[in-house]
This record gives sequence, structure tokens and C-alpha cells, in this order.
Amino acid sequence: MALLNITYQGQSADYELAIDFATTDADIRRIAVEVVRSGGVRGLHLPHLQPNAFASFVVDRLTGPAGEQRIFLRPKVPFGG
Amino acid sequence: MASHRIVLCGVGALGSTALPYLRNVAAELRLVDFDRVESKNLAAQWFVKQSIGKNKAEAARLQLANFYGAKAEAMGVRLGAHNAAQLLADCTLAVDCFDNADSRIALSEAARAANVPLVHAALAADGTFGIVRWDERFVPDREDAEGQATCEGGEHLPMIGLVGAMLARTIQDFLSGSERRDFMISMTSVMRTA
Repeated sequence: MALLNITYQGQSADYELAIDFATTDADIRRIAVEVVRSGGVRGLHLPHLQPNAFASFVVDRLTGPAGEQRIFLRPKVPFGG
Repeated sequence: MASHRIVLCGVGALGSTALPYLRNVAAELRLVDFDRVESKNLAAQWFVKQSIGKNKAEAARLQLANFYGAKAEAMGVRLGAHNAAQLLADCTLAVDCFDNADSRIALSEAARAANVPLVHAALAADGTFGIVRWDERFVPDREDAEGQATCEGGEHLPMIGLVGAMLARTIQDFLSGSERRDFMISMTSVMRTA
């Protein structure tokens, strides 16, 4: 099981209920819309979030510094320059 | 004498902004960028008016020397398969601040072939989010649409500064022997992710 972190429009917050680490990207995006709309993510409550808000977002599955499994839903980062 | 050499690839928004934070590192800096400084770059990149028209790597080298007395080597070329091995030669560390996925991939392939550690820094188009991530956990993102709005406007400069500062700190930590740490940087937090 893994914790899900969502970053949207510069705000980043954790969804505190664990999610299966192998959950598909599409399901992660769908779950994220639901929990952000419902207020399940403290600090990131957007009741009118569009269903496709995370359509182009990236799902990262990483093992944290303490060995914990984390899932990150984040915007693309194509730029540097 | 510095015992390390760092090759910084891409001296635009992120690369140039990280540079002043790297002026004290115990390493020689090699700067790689084929592009030239344009007046629009002054809004979001660490260049001054006198640098307009100069190659970015050379302009950054001159600014480091003139402002801080710090030495660097400028390579005003585009990194590719034909020259990557030369550009990475004798380097302790490679740093990716390129602005496109193809260049990032070319650098990753070269760094892996040369067994040079590589850290990437990257920004979201809307300037609200960035990452610093080591190559073993990094997958380059492509633009949603070619020519998508970028972080060139000065309104994103504070976030560019935040990501640049975290990149410089990550490099410092690496040179001092610490583990390879990844970070995600948003408007609300700097989070270590590995």
C-alpha cells in the first residue's frame, strides 16, 4: 500500500488513506479527482474540479527515504532551459 | 585546487539561476549551451543587459568571473551523440537543465555510458512546480503540445529560484559525500521524495 500525494496548481498535499501501489495510472487520476472534490485531501479541496483536471498529469511510483512506498500525481515538468 | 568537475548542461532559466548558488562549490564548472542571450531572457534568467547577444555559456562564465571571481569553462555547443563523451570527460557529476526531452535523453544516455552521475532539474510550464531528481529515477516529460507556453516570463522567477536553489543544494550534498536526494518543489512545500 502507498500514500498518494497530489500536486495541483502549485498546491501539494497528501491523501491519507493508503492506495494499492499497483493501482493503474488511470485509476489514480480518477481517484484523485474524487478525493480532491470531496475534501478528502487536506489543503486541496476543490469541489468543482473538472473530471479531466489530471488527464495530462504524471504518476510517479517511488520508494521514499525511509523505504515507504509513495505515489505522486504531479504536473509534467518539460522545461528547464 | 578543485578535485571535482561538474558539467552543467543548459544555461537558461534553471541552469543560469542555479549558477550563482554554485559559485563556492569545490569543483570546476563546465557550462554547455549553444543558445544566445536575448533581451526577453533577462526576465527569467541570470543574465544582465551586457550579455545580450553572447552565447549563454560564455555569458555565464563571464558573469561568474566578473561578479565573483569564480572560474568556469564555457562550451558554446549543442550536446549530442557526436560530442557528449567529450563534454562529459573527466566530470564527477553531470547536471541536466535542458528544456526539452530529446536533449535530456541524449544526456542521460551519454552519462550512463560514461558512468557519470547525473541529476536533473525540471519545471512545469505554469511555473508552479519543479523537481530535482537523480537519473536512476528520472523519466523526461514531453510538452503537451509543441511550442507550449514556457516559464520564460518573469512571473515565474521566484519558483525558478526555488528549484535552482534546491538543485545547487543537491549538488553541494553530493560533492560532500551525502546520498543522492530527490526533491519536489511546489508553492506549498519542498518535499524530499528519495
